[in-house]
Amino acid sequence: MAKPRPITGLDPDRRLRPNARRIIAVRIDEVWAFAPFVTHPGNVRELHDMRIACKRLRYLLEIFEIAFSDDLGPHIDQIKDLQDLLGEIHDRDVQVPMLHDHLERLAERDAATARELVRQAGPAGRMSQTRREVAFERFRAQLDAAGTVAEQPGIEALLARRTRERDELYDRFLVEWHRLTTERFRRRLERALGL
Amino acid sequence: MAKAWNVPGLRGDAKFRDAAGRVIVTRWREMMSFRDGTLAGEDIEELHAMRVSSRRLRAAMDAFAGAFPERSFRTHIRVVKEITDTLGAARDLDVAVEGLEAVAIEFAAHERTGIEALTAEYRRRRLDEATQIAALFTRLDDEDYSRRFERWVSRHTGVDPLQLHTATPGDL
Repeated sequence: MAKPRPITGLDPDRRLRPNARRIIAVRIDEVWAFAPFVTHPGNVRELHDMRIACKRLRYLLEIFEIAFSDDLGPHIDQIKDLQDLLGEIHDRDVQVPMLHDHLERLAERDAATARELVRQAGPAGRMSQTRREVAFERFRAQLDAAGTVAEQPGIEALLARRTRERDELYDRFLVEWHRLTTERFRRRLERALGL
Repeated sequence: MAKAWNVPGLRGDAKFRDAAGRVIVTRWREMMSFRDGTLAGEDIEELHAMRVSSRRLRAAMDAFAGAFPERSFRTHIRVVKEITDTLGAARDLDVAVEGLEAVAIEFAAHERTGIEALTAEYRRRRLDEATQIAALFTRLDDEDYSRRFERWVSRHTGVDPLQLHTATPGDL
């Protein structure tokens, strides 16, 4: 996660507003620093970092709004909406790899079970076709009984759903980001803060 | 999501240092107000609220860092970060379990087997995370950390924690 940039030029013994302006200006920069990266859906880390930057900015606006005469409420709501959308995307970005890992673990468990069943069965030796088929059916039944084969379809279906949701959420984010840019949201926020 | 607590005595024309003390102590108490609910583990919103509060606290500490000596500031923000991170792993599992429970019914019966097994596994892992969380808070209690933290803030901002009467939004 990107660390917050240190703020220079603060004077703790001065009033809140001039210091707050300096701090918020840096945090606004931090959010918009991700702008070149977030137009690519694969930039998972940058999308997550942008969300964290939105949070930092939002929490500071909540703290410092008392020091400004303009109503910052609508700006805070706007940043919160963006942060929430990025949060929904992040939830999928956490869950999709977890589901891939789970599928891998299921496959490994199946392979281990299969190896153990083969070991227990011992060498096949010369066997008639009928006996071979019976032995194979028994092997399959034992493998099914071990359980993991039955689990895979659900995980695969869930993975497909979460991936689809992530794509849809990202499309919504792009629309929202484009709207904020078109409406010059950053400039309006900076004006409200006297920056 | 839980609303941020009001900061008692915070005024628009306050000195930066005074505001630092009021905001940071209030955010610390806000975060710790969810401690017992988080440890009880009966409502996942308690842990979520505690994590959100810890982020609010960190944002405030980063903003007001200039009011504190660099070295001791680093020590304390590291502890707050540890709290956020420890709660984070549990929160990810809570979100995952909640999401699975919400959608399970929409899947076909043969698919639900896997989803239910996965839910059970996440629940098991969540229990391990609860142990980590309990260990962290036991350590902070043993170190009398809350009192030390508030005294550290007070020393550098002049805000007396005993005179700062914080209240949950519901109490106002």
